[in-house]
Amino acid sequence: MSHMHIPDGVLPVWIVTAGWVVTALLLAFCIKRVSSIELKRKVPLIGIISALMIVGMTLEIVPIAYHINLTVVAGIVLGPALAFISVFIVDLLISMFGHGGVTVVGLNTIIIGAEAVLGYYLFQLFKEVMGNKSMFWESSLAALLSLLLSTSIMLGVVYISQISPEKIESIGHLVSGTGSNTNGLRVLEDGINFSRFAKTVFILSPLGWILESVITGLVVKYVFRVRPDLILPERA
Amino acid sequence: MDVSAIDYYANHGVSFLHGARALSKIIFAGLVIASVVISNSFYLLLAVYFSLLTIVIWTRLPVLKIVTIAAYPAIFALIFAAASWNGSWVSAGVIVLKALCASLAMVILIVTTPYPDVFSSIEPVLPRIIREGLFLTYRSLFVLLELTDNLVKGLRVRGGLTHGRYIKNVVNFSSGIGLLLVRGLDLSEKFYGVLNVRGYSGRISGGGRHEKTGVNDFTAIVIGVLILGAALVIKKNGELSVYDGCMLALSLAALVLSTAYVVLPNTWGRAWKK
Repeated sequence: MSHMHIPDGVLPVWIVTAGWVVTALLLAFCIKRVSSIELKRKVPLIGIISALMIVGMTLEIVPIAYHINLTVVAGIVLGPALAFISVFIVDLLISMFGHGGVTVVGLNTIIIGAEAVLGYYLFQLFKEVMGNKSMFWESSLAALLSLLLSTSIMLGVVYISQISPEKIESIGHLVSGTGSNTNGLRVLEDGINFSRFAKTVFILSPLGWILESVITGLVVKYVFRVRPDLILPERA
Repeated sequence: MDVSAIDYYANHGVSFLHGARALSKIIFAGLVIASVVISNSFYLLLAVYFSLLTIVIWTRLPVLKIVTIAAYPAIFALIFAAASWNGSWVSAGVIVLKALCASLAMVILIVTTPYPDVFSSIEPVLPRIIREGLFLTYRSLFVLLELTDNLVKGLRVRGGLTHGRYIKNVVNFSSGIGLLLVRGLDLSEKFYGVLNVRGYSGRISGGGRHEKTGVNDFTAIVIGVLILGAALVIKKNGELSVYDGCMLALSLAALVLSTAYVVLPNTWGRAWKK
Protein backbone atom coordinates (compact mmCIF):
# COMPACT_ATOMS: atom_id res chain seq x y z
CA MET A 1 0.00 0.00 0.00
CA SER A 2 2.99 2.31 0.32
CA HIS A 3 3.01 2.47 -3.47
CA MET A 4 1.02 5.57 -4.24
CA HIS A 5 -1.56 4.91 -6.94
CA ILE A 6 -2.86 8.45 -6.66
CA PRO A 7 -4.64 9.26 -9.89
CA ASP A 8 -3.51 12.10 -12.12
CA GLY A 9 -5.25 15.34 -11.30
CA VAL A 10 -6.13 14.57 -7.69
CA LEU A 11 -3.08 16.21 -6.11
CA PRO A 12 -2.43 19.92 -6.66
CA VAL A 13 -0.03 20.83 -9.45
CA TRP A 14 2.46 22.50 -7.08
CA ILE A 15 3.09 19.31 -5.09
CA VAL A 16 3.35 17.21 -8.26
CA THR A 17 5.91 19.68 -9.69
CA ALA A 18 7.78 19.74 -6.38
CA GLY A 19 7.91 15.93 -6.50
CA TRP A 20 9.51 15.99 -9.96
CA VAL A 21 12.04 18.67 -8.93
CA VAL A 22 13.08 16.82 -5.76
CA THR A 23 13.32 13.53 -7.66
CA ALA A 24 15.49 15.13 -10.37
CA LEU A 25 17.82 16.55 -7.71
CA LEU A 26 18.01 13.24 -5.85
CA LEU A 27 18.68 11.36 -9.10
CA ALA A 28 21.49 13.79 -9.98
CA PHE A 29 22.93 13.28 -6.49
CA CYS A 30 22.70 9.47 -6.77
CA ILE A 31 24.32 9.40 -10.24
CA LYS A 32 27.13 11.67 -9.06
CA ARG A 33 27.67 9.58 -5.95
CA VAL A 34 28.35 6.35 -7.83
CA SER A 35 31.55 6.18 -9.86
CA SER A 36 31.19 5.65 -13.62
CA ILE A 37 33.09 2.33 -13.42
CA GLU A 38 30.74 1.00 -10.74
CA LEU A 39 27.75 2.25 -12.74
CA LYS A 40 28.84 0.34 -15.83
CA ARG A 41 29.39 -2.81 -13.77
CA LYS A 42 26.05 -2.53 -12.01
CA VAL A 43 23.81 -1.64 -15.00
CA PRO A 44 22.77 -5.30 -15.61
CA LEU A 45 21.96 -5.62 -11.89
CA ILE A 46 19.83 -2.45 -12.02
CA GLY A 47 18.03 -3.90 -15.07
CA ILE A 48 17.28 -7.24 -13.48
CA ILE A 49 16.25 -5.83 -10.08
CA SER A 50 13.96 -3.28 -11.77
CA ALA A 51 12.46 -6.04 -13.92
CA LEU A 52 12.01 -8.23 -10.83
CA MET A 53 10.14 -5.41 -9.08
CA ILE A 54 7.84 -5.05 -12.10
CA VAL A 55 7.26 -8.82 -12.24
CA GLY A 56 6.41 -8.67 -8.51
CA MET A 57 3.94 -5.89 -9.24
CA THR A 58 2.21 -7.98 -11.89
CA LEU A 59 1.31 -10.55 -9.22
CA GLU A 60 -1.64 -8.69 -7.74
CA ILE A 61 -3.93 -9.77 -4.93
CA VAL A 62 -6.96 -8.20 -6.59
CA PRO A 63 -9.52 -7.62 -3.79
CA ILE A 64 -7.07 -5.48 -1.75
CA ALA A 65 -5.04 -4.27 -4.77
CA TYR A 66 -1.86 -5.41 -3.06
CA HIS A 67 1.23 -6.69 -4.78
CA ILE A 68 4.78 -7.32 -3.67
CA ASN A 69 7.18 -4.44 -4.35
CA LEU A 70 10.59 -6.00 -3.51
CA THR A 71 11.95 -2.49 -2.95
CA VAL A 72 13.85 -3.49 0.18
CA VAL A 73 15.46 -6.37 -1.75
CA ALA A 74 16.49 -3.71 -4.30
CA GLY A 75 17.92 -1.53 -1.54
CA ILE A 76 19.87 -4.40 0.03
CA VAL A 77 21.29 -5.72 -3.27
CA LEU A 78 21.93 -2.42 -5.08
CA GLY A 79 22.73 -0.05 -2.22
CA PRO A 80 20.90 3.24 -1.62
CA ALA A 81 22.00 5.29 -4.66
CA LEU A 82 21.47 2.62 -7.32
CA ALA A 83 18.23 1.45 -5.67
CA PHE A 84 16.84 4.98 -5.98
CA ILE A 85 17.72 5.02 -9.69
CA SER A 86 16.13 1.58 -10.09
CA VAL A 87 12.94 2.76 -8.34
CA PHE A 88 12.69 5.72 -10.74
CA ILE A 89 13.02 3.37 -13.73
CA VAL A 90 10.32 1.08 -12.33
CA ASP A 91 7.94 3.98 -11.63
CA LEU A 92 8.46 5.42 -15.08
CA LEU A 93 7.80 2.06 -16.74
CA ILE A 94 4.74 1.10 -14.71
CA SER A 95 3.20 4.54 -15.19
CA MET A 96 3.16 3.69 -18.90
CA PHE A 97 0.95 0.69 -18.06
CA GLY A 98 -1.43 3.07 -16.29
CA HIS A 99 -0.24 1.62 -12.96
CA GLY A 100 0.02 4.83 -10.91
CA GLY A 101 -0.38 8.27 -12.41
CA VAL A 102 2.25 9.50 -14.82
CA THR A 103 2.29 12.98 -13.27
CA VAL A 104 2.99 11.51 -9.82
CA VAL A 105 6.05 9.52 -10.90
CA GLY A 106 8.22 12.07 -9.07
CA LEU A 107 6.33 11.70 -5.79
CA ASN A 108 6.12 7.93 -6.18
CA THR A 109 9.89 7.77 -6.68
CA ILE A 110 10.49 9.75 -3.49
CA ILE A 111 8.19 7.49 -1.45
CA ILE A 112 9.28 4.14 -2.84
CA GLY A 113 12.88 5.31 -3.10
CA ALA A 114 12.73 6.19 0.60
CA GLU A 115 11.50 2.63 1.23
CA ALA A 116 14.51 1.18 -0.60
CA VAL A 117 17.03 3.54 1.04
CA LEU A 118 15.57 3.04 4.53
CA GLY A 119 15.48 -0.71 3.90
CA TYR A 120 19.19 -0.69 3.09
CA TYR A 121 20.22 1.30 6.17
CA LEU A 122 17.91 -0.62 8.52
CA PHE A 123 19.26 -3.90 7.14
CA GLN A 124 22.83 -2.73 7.79
CA LEU A 125 21.83 -1.73 11.32
CA PHE A 126 20.06 -5.02 12.12
CA LYS A 127 22.94 -6.96 10.61
CA GLU A 128 25.35 -5.27 13.03
CA VAL A 129 23.03 -5.64 16.02
CA MET A 130 21.66 -9.16 15.48
CA GLY A 131 24.53 -10.84 13.70
CA ASN A 132 22.16 -13.57 12.50
CA LYS A 133 23.77 -15.66 9.80
CA SER A 134 20.69 -16.46 7.74
CA MET A 135 19.79 -12.78 7.10
CA PHE A 136 16.06 -13.64 7.31
CA TRP A 137 15.16 -11.65 10.42
CA GLU A 138 17.39 -8.69 9.55
CA SER A 139 15.85 -8.24 6.12
CA SER A 140 12.29 -8.98 7.28
CA LEU A 141 12.43 -6.43 10.06
CA ALA A 142 14.09 -3.91 7.75
CA ALA A 143 11.28 -4.43 5.21
CA LEU A 144 8.53 -4.16 7.84
CA LEU A 145 9.89 -0.92 9.32
CA SER A 146 10.67 0.69 5.98
CA LEU A 147 7.15 -0.13 4.70
CA LEU A 148 5.67 1.47 7.81
CA LEU A 149 7.86 4.54 7.35
CA SER A 150 7.25 4.89 3.62
CA THR A 151 3.49 4.55 4.12
CA SER A 152 3.78 7.34 6.69
CA ILE A 153 5.69 9.45 4.13
CA MET A 154 2.92 8.76 1.60
CA LEU A 155 0.33 9.93 4.13
CA GLY A 156 2.51 12.97 4.82
CA VAL A 157 2.47 13.83 1.11
CA VAL A 158 -1.32 13.51 1.01
CA TYR A 159 -1.59 15.67 4.16
CA ILE A 160 0.70 18.36 2.72
CA SER A 161 -1.22 18.26 -0.56
CA GLN A 162 -4.30 19.58 1.29
CA ILE A 163 -2.47 22.85 1.78
CA SER A 164 -2.81 24.93 -1.36
CA PRO A 165 -0.59 28.02 -1.74
CA GLU A 166 -3.64 30.30 -1.47
CA LYS A 167 -4.33 28.91 1.97
CA ILE A 168 -0.78 29.16 3.30
CA GLU A 169 -1.59 32.58 4.68
CA SER A 170 -4.37 31.22 6.87
CA ILE A 171 -2.08 28.42 8.03
CA GLY A 172 0.53 31.04 8.85
CA HIS A 173 -2.04 32.69 11.10
CA LEU A 174 -2.82 29.36 12.66
CA VAL A 175 0.84 28.56 13.34
CA SER A 176 1.53 31.99 14.74
CA GLY A 177 -1.52 31.68 16.96
CA THR A 178 -3.45 34.51 15.31
CA GLY A 179 -6.02 32.22 13.67
CA SER A 180 -8.57 29.80 15.04
CA ASN A 181 -8.49 26.04 14.83
CA THR A 182 -11.57 26.03 12.60
CA ASN A 183 -9.47 27.83 10.01
CA GLY A 184 -7.05 24.91 9.88
CA LEU A 185 -9.84 22.34 9.82
CA ARG A 186 -11.43 24.06 6.84
CA VAL A 187 -8.17 23.60 4.95
CA LEU A 188 -8.58 19.84 5.29
CA GLU A 189 -12.33 19.78 4.81
CA ASP A 190 -11.99 21.24 1.32
CA GLY A 191 -10.36 18.11 -0.09
CA ILE A 192 -9.65 14.62 1.15
CA ASN A 193 -10.72 13.72 4.67
CA PHE A 194 -7.23 12.99 5.89
CA SER A 195 -8.08 11.02 9.02
CA ARG A 196 -10.50 8.81 7.07
CA PHE A 197 -7.86 8.26 4.39
CA ALA A 198 -5.16 7.46 6.96
CA LYS A 199 -7.48 5.01 8.75
CA THR A 200 -8.32 3.25 5.46
CA VAL A 201 -4.64 2.96 4.55
CA PHE A 202 -3.61 1.72 8.00
CA ILE A 203 -6.43 -0.86 8.02
CA LEU A 204 -5.55 -2.23 4.57
CA SER A 205 -1.76 -2.06 4.80
CA PRO A 206 -0.54 -4.30 7.68
CA LEU A 207 -1.47 -7.54 5.90
CA GLY A 208 0.57 -6.40 2.91
CA TRP A 209 3.49 -5.29 5.09
CA ILE A 210 3.67 -8.68 6.78
CA LEU A 211 3.47 -10.57 3.50
CA GLU A 212 6.07 -8.34 1.87
CA SER A 213 8.48 -8.54 4.82
CA VAL A 214 8.24 -12.36 4.99
CA ILE A 215 8.86 -12.65 1.24
CA THR A 216 11.73 -10.14 1.44
CA GLY A 217 13.30 -12.13 4.28
CA LEU A 218 13.00 -15.42 2.38
CA VAL A 219 14.34 -13.94 -0.88
CA VAL A 220 17.34 -12.36 0.86
CA LYS A 221 17.96 -15.62 2.78
CA TYR A 222 17.97 -17.61 -0.47
CA VAL A 223 20.19 -15.13 -2.36
CA PHE A 224 22.60 -14.99 0.60
CA ARG A 225 22.91 -18.78 0.51
CA VAL A 226 23.52 -18.94 -3.26
CA ARG A 227 25.28 -15.64 -4.06
CA PRO A 228 26.46 -14.09 -0.76
CA ASP A 229 28.43 -11.46 -2.69
CA LEU A 230 25.13 -9.85 -3.77
CA ILE A 231 24.05 -9.31 -0.17
CA LEU A 232 27.47 -8.65 1.35
CA PRO A 233 29.63 -7.05 -1.38
CA GLU A 234 32.65 -7.13 0.96
CA ARG A 235 32.66 -10.93 0.58
CA ALA A 236 33.06 -10.67 -3.21
CA MET B 1 -0.59 -6.00 -16.05
CA ASP B 2 -0.03 -8.42 -18.92
CA VAL B 3 3.30 -7.14 -20.22
CA SER B 4 3.68 -9.80 -22.93
CA ALA B 5 0.22 -9.04 -24.35
CA ILE B 6 0.93 -5.29 -24.34
CA ASP B 7 4.19 -5.87 -26.22
CA TYR B 8 2.41 -8.11 -28.73
CA TYR B 9 -0.33 -5.52 -29.39
CA ALA B 10 2.27 -2.76 -29.83
CA ASN B 11 4.27 -4.73 -32.38
CA HIS B 12 1.48 -6.42 -34.35
CA GLY B 13 -1.29 -3.82 -34.54
CA VAL B 14 -2.26 -2.18 -37.84
CA SER B 15 -4.42 0.77 -36.79
CA PHE B 16 -3.91 4.46 -37.60
CA LEU B 17 -2.28 4.92 -34.18
CA HIS B 18 0.17 2.07 -34.86
CA GLY B 19 1.14 3.98 -38.01
CA ALA B 20 1.83 7.24 -36.14
CA ARG B 21 5.20 8.27 -34.73
CA ALA B 22 5.88 7.63 -31.04
CA LEU B 23 6.40 11.34 -30.38
CA SER B 24 2.95 12.22 -31.79
CA LYS B 25 1.33 9.63 -29.51
CA ILE B 26 3.31 10.89 -26.51
CA ILE B 27 2.02 14.41 -27.28
CA PHE B 28 -1.53 12.98 -27.60
CA ALA B 29 -1.26 11.22 -24.23
CA GLY B 30 0.25 14.36 -22.66
CA LEU B 31 -2.63 16.52 -23.93
CA VAL B 32 -5.25 14.07 -22.62
CA ILE B 33 -3.54 13.90 -19.22
CA ALA B 34 -3.32 17.71 -19.10
CA SER B 35 -7.07 17.92 -19.77
CA VAL B 36 -7.70 15.34 -17.02
CA VAL B 37 -5.55 17.34 -14.58
CA ILE B 38 -7.35 20.65 -15.20
CA SER B 39 -10.90 19.32 -15.50
CA ASN B 40 -13.27 18.74 -12.61
CA SER B 41 -16.41 18.27 -14.68
CA PHE B 42 -17.93 14.81 -14.32
CA TYR B 43 -19.64 14.94 -17.72
CA LEU B 44 -16.55 16.17 -19.53
CA LEU B 45 -14.40 13.44 -17.95
CA LEU B 46 -17.00 10.85 -18.92
CA ALA B 47 -16.97 12.27 -22.47
CA VAL B 48 -13.15 12.01 -22.52
CA TYR B 49 -13.38 8.40 -21.33
CA PHE B 50 -15.92 7.53 -24.04
CA SER B 51 -13.69 9.25 -26.64
CA LEU B 52 -10.70 7.19 -25.47
CA LEU B 53 -12.82 4.03 -25.63
CA THR B 54 -13.71 4.97 -29.21
CA ILE B 55 -10.00 5.27 -30.02
CA VAL B 56 -9.40 1.84 -28.44
CA ILE B 57 -12.07 0.42 -30.74
CA TRP B 58 -10.37 2.04 -33.74
CA THR B 59 -7.09 0.33 -32.81
CA ARG B 60 -8.89 -2.99 -33.48
CA LEU B 61 -7.22 -4.56 -30.47
CA PRO B 62 -9.10 -6.60 -27.80
CA VAL B 63 -11.11 -3.80 -26.19
CA LEU B 64 -12.05 -5.59 -22.98
CA LYS B 65 -8.45 -6.62 -22.29
CA ILE B 66 -7.17 -3.07 -22.78
CA VAL B 67 -9.93 -1.55 -20.66
CA THR B 68 -9.17 -4.10 -17.92
CA ILE B 69 -5.43 -3.26 -17.98
CA ALA B 70 -6.28 0.44 -17.70
CA ALA B 71 -8.85 -0.07 -14.95
CA TYR B 72 -6.35 -1.08 -12.24
CA PRO B 73 -5.76 2.48 -10.89
CA ALA B 74 -9.51 2.76 -10.25
CA ILE B 75 -9.09 0.50 -7.20
CA PHE B 76 -6.79 3.00 -5.48
CA ALA B 77 -8.87 5.91 -6.77
CA LEU B 78 -11.83 4.38 -4.93
CA ILE B 79 -9.90 4.69 -1.64
CA PHE B 80 -9.36 8.36 -2.44
CA ALA B 81 -12.97 8.77 -3.44
CA ALA B 82 -14.08 7.18 -0.16
CA ALA B 83 -11.74 9.49 1.77
CA SER B 84 -13.11 12.54 -0.06
CA TRP B 85 -16.75 11.44 0.27
CA ASN B 86 -19.00 14.44 0.83
CA GLY B 87 -22.29 12.75 0.07
CA SER B 88 -22.05 13.38 -3.67
CA TRP B 89 -21.50 10.58 -6.14
CA VAL B 90 -20.35 13.15 -8.69
CA SER B 91 -17.20 14.16 -6.75
CA ALA B 92 -16.34 10.50 -6.15
CA GLY B 93 -16.97 9.82 -9.84
CA VAL B 94 -14.64 12.66 -10.85
CA ILE B 95 -11.73 11.09 -8.91
CA VAL B 96 -12.34 7.63 -10.38
CA LEU B 97 -12.80 9.01 -13.91
CA LYS B 98 -9.58 11.04 -13.66
CA ALA B 99 -7.73 7.81 -12.82
CA LEU B 100 -9.43 5.87 -15.61
CA CYS B 101 -8.91 8.54 -18.32
CA ALA B 102 -5.22 9.16 -17.57
CA SER B 103 -4.54 5.45 -17.31
CA LEU B 104 -6.38 4.64 -20.56
CA ALA B 105 -4.48 7.41 -22.40
CA MET B 106 -1.16 5.89 -21.28
CA VAL B 107 -2.31 2.36 -22.11
CA ILE B 108 -3.39 3.50 -25.61
CA LEU B 109 0.12 4.91 -26.07
CA ILE B 110 1.80 1.72 -24.93
CA VAL B 111 -0.40 -0.80 -26.80
CA THR B 112 0.18 1.07 -30.06
CA THR B 113 3.88 1.87 -29.66
CA PRO B 114 6.76 -0.61 -29.20
CA TYR B 115 8.80 0.21 -26.09
CA PRO B 116 12.08 0.95 -27.93
CA ASP B 117 10.23 3.66 -29.90
CA VAL B 118 8.92 5.24 -26.70
CA PHE B 119 12.39 5.09 -25.11
CA SER B 120 14.10 6.58 -28.15
CA SER B 121 11.60 9.47 -28.11
CA ILE B 122 12.23 10.34 -24.46
CA GLU B 123 15.97 9.57 -24.40
CA PRO B 124 17.15 13.17 -25.08
CA VAL B 125 15.82 14.21 -21.66
CA LEU B 126 17.23 11.27 -19.70
CA PRO B 127 20.77 10.67 -18.36
CA ARG B 128 22.66 7.72 -19.84
CA ILE B 129 22.33 5.48 -16.77
CA ILE B 130 18.53 5.85 -16.81
CA ARG B 131 18.43 5.12 -20.57
CA GLU B 132 20.54 2.00 -20.15
CA GLY B 133 18.53 0.97 -17.10
CA LEU B 134 15.25 1.37 -19.00
CA PHE B 135 16.54 -0.65 -21.91
CA LEU B 136 17.96 -3.48 -19.78
CA THR B 137 14.86 -3.53 -17.58
CA TYR B 138 12.67 -3.90 -20.64
CA ARG B 139 14.88 -6.69 -21.98
CA SER B 140 15.13 -8.42 -18.60
CA LEU B 141 11.39 -8.18 -18.10
CA PHE B 142 10.65 -10.68 -20.85
CA VAL B 143 13.48 -12.97 -19.72
CA LEU B 144 12.08 -12.91 -16.18
CA LEU B 145 8.49 -13.43 -17.30
CA GLU B 146 9.55 -16.58 -19.15
CA LEU B 147 11.61 -17.76 -16.16
CA THR B 148 8.65 -17.03 -13.85
CA ASP B 149 6.34 -19.06 -16.05
CA ASN B 150 8.75 -22.00 -15.99
CA LEU B 151 9.30 -21.61 -12.25
CA VAL B 152 5.58 -21.68 -11.43
CA LYS B 153 5.08 -24.72 -13.68
CA GLY B 154 8.08 -26.45 -12.07
CA LEU B 155 6.84 -25.68 -8.55
CA ARG B 156 3.36 -27.01 -9.37
CA VAL B 157 4.67 -30.20 -10.97
CA ARG B 158 6.92 -30.94 -7.99
CA GLY B 159 4.22 -30.13 -5.42
CA GLY B 160 5.84 -26.85 -4.34
CA LEU B 161 2.55 -24.96 -4.72
CA THR B 162 -0.36 -26.92 -3.30
CA HIS B 163 -3.76 -26.01 -1.88
CA GLY B 164 -3.95 -25.70 1.87
CA ARG B 165 -0.18 -25.47 2.54
CA TYR B 166 0.06 -21.70 2.42
CA ILE B 167 3.18 -21.21 4.56
CA LYS B 168 5.11 -23.80 2.56
CA ASN B 169 3.85 -22.17 -0.66
CA VAL B 170 5.13 -18.74 0.44
CA VAL B 171 8.52 -20.22 1.37
CA ASN B 172 8.86 -22.04 -1.96
CA PHE B 173 7.61 -19.09 -3.98
CA SER B 174 10.00 -16.68 -2.23
CA SER B 175 12.95 -19.00 -2.86
CA GLY B 176 11.78 -19.06 -6.48
CA ILE B 177 11.96 -15.26 -6.63
CA GLY B 178 15.50 -15.46 -5.24
CA LEU B 179 16.35 -18.01 -7.92
CA LEU B 180 14.88 -15.69 -10.58
CA LEU B 181 17.10 -12.89 -9.33
CA VAL B 182 20.27 -14.98 -9.48
CA ARG B 183 19.51 -16.58 -12.86
CA GLY B 184 18.20 -13.34 -14.33
CA LEU B 185 21.35 -11.53 -13.25
CA ASP B 186 23.56 -14.08 -15.02
CA LEU B 187 21.54 -13.69 -18.22
CA SER B 188 21.48 -9.91 -17.97
CA GLU B 189 25.27 -9.71 -17.43
CA LYS B 190 25.86 -11.93 -20.48
CA PHE B 191 23.45 -9.84 -22.57
CA TYR B 192 25.08 -6.55 -21.51
CA GLY B 193 28.54 -7.99 -22.24
CA VAL B 194 27.46 -9.05 -25.73
CA LEU B 195 25.92 -5.61 -26.36
CA ASN B 196 29.18 -3.88 -25.38
CA VAL B 197 31.24 -6.19 -27.60
CA ARG B 198 28.93 -5.27 -30.50
CA GLY B 199 29.60 -1.57 -29.98
CA TYR B 200 26.61 -0.57 -27.84
CA SER B 201 27.07 3.05 -26.73
CA GLY B 202 24.01 3.62 -24.57
CA ARG B 203 21.82 4.91 -27.41
CA ILE B 204 18.45 3.27 -28.00
CA SER B 205 17.41 3.04 -31.63
CA GLY B 206 13.71 3.29 -32.35
CA GLY B 207 14.05 0.86 -35.24
CA GLY B 208 13.45 3.49 -37.90
CA ARG B 209 9.65 2.93 -38.09
CA HIS B 210 7.43 5.82 -39.15
CA GLU B 211 10.17 8.42 -39.39
CA LYS B 212 8.05 10.76 -41.53
CA THR B 213 5.21 12.74 -40.07
CA GLY B 214 1.94 11.86 -41.79
CA VAL B 215 -1.81 12.01 -41.52
CA ASN B 216 -1.82 9.52 -38.63
CA ASP B 217 0.36 11.82 -36.53
CA PHE B 218 -1.86 14.76 -37.43
CA THR B 219 -4.99 12.82 -36.41
CA ALA B 220 -3.53 11.77 -33.05
CA ILE B 221 -2.42 15.31 -32.18
CA VAL B 222 -5.70 16.90 -33.34
CA ILE B 223 -7.73 14.52 -31.13
CA GLY B 224 -5.51 15.45 -28.17
CA VAL B 225 -5.82 19.19 -28.92
CA LEU B 226 -9.62 18.92 -29.21
CA ILE B 227 -9.89 17.15 -25.85
CA LEU B 228 -7.62 19.70 -24.13
CA GLY B 229 -9.43 22.57 -25.86
CA ALA B 230 -12.79 21.34 -24.57
CA ALA B 231 -11.39 21.02 -21.04
CA LEU B 232 -9.90 24.54 -21.19
CA VAL B 233 -13.10 26.14 -22.48
CA ILE B 234 -15.20 24.49 -19.78
CA LYS B 235 -12.64 25.34 -17.10
CA LYS B 236 -12.59 29.01 -18.15
CA ASN B 237 -16.37 29.40 -18.52
CA GLY B 238 -17.85 27.48 -15.62
CA GLU B 239 -21.37 28.35 -16.75
CA LEU B 240 -20.91 26.43 -20.00
CA SER B 241 -22.04 23.28 -18.25
CA VAL B 242 -24.70 22.66 -20.89
CA TYR B 243 -21.87 21.97 -23.32
CA ASP B 244 -20.63 19.16 -21.03
CA GLY B 245 -23.86 17.32 -21.84
CA CYS B 246 -23.43 17.96 -25.58
CA MET B 247 -19.89 16.61 -25.50
CA LEU B 248 -21.05 13.58 -23.56
CA ALA B 249 -23.80 12.92 -26.11
CA LEU B 250 -21.36 13.37 -29.01
CA SER B 251 -18.73 11.07 -27.53
CA LEU B 252 -21.37 8.45 -26.70
CA ALA B 253 -22.66 8.61 -30.27
CA ALA B 254 -19.10 8.24 -31.60
CA LEU B 255 -18.58 5.24 -29.30
CA VAL B 256 -21.80 3.52 -30.39
CA LEU B 257 -21.18 4.17 -34.09
CA SER B 258 -17.55 3.01 -33.87
CA THR B 259 -18.62 -0.15 -32.05
CA ALA B 260 -21.17 -0.87 -34.76
CA TYR B 261 -18.71 -0.11 -37.54
CA VAL B 262 -15.61 -1.89 -36.22
CA VAL B 263 -16.68 -4.52 -33.74
CA LEU B 264 -20.05 -5.92 -34.77
CA PRO B 265 -19.73 -8.20 -37.80
CA ASN B 266 -22.28 -8.23 -40.65
CA THR B 267 -23.91 -5.01 -39.64
CA TRP B 268 -24.76 -1.92 -41.63
CA GLY B 269 -21.36 -0.60 -40.57
CA ARG B 270 -19.55 -3.37 -42.47
CA ALA B 271 -21.84 -2.82 -45.48
CA TRP B 272 -21.12 0.91 -45.40
CA LYS B 273 -17.41 0.15 -45.27
CA LYS B 274 -17.72 -1.76 -48.54
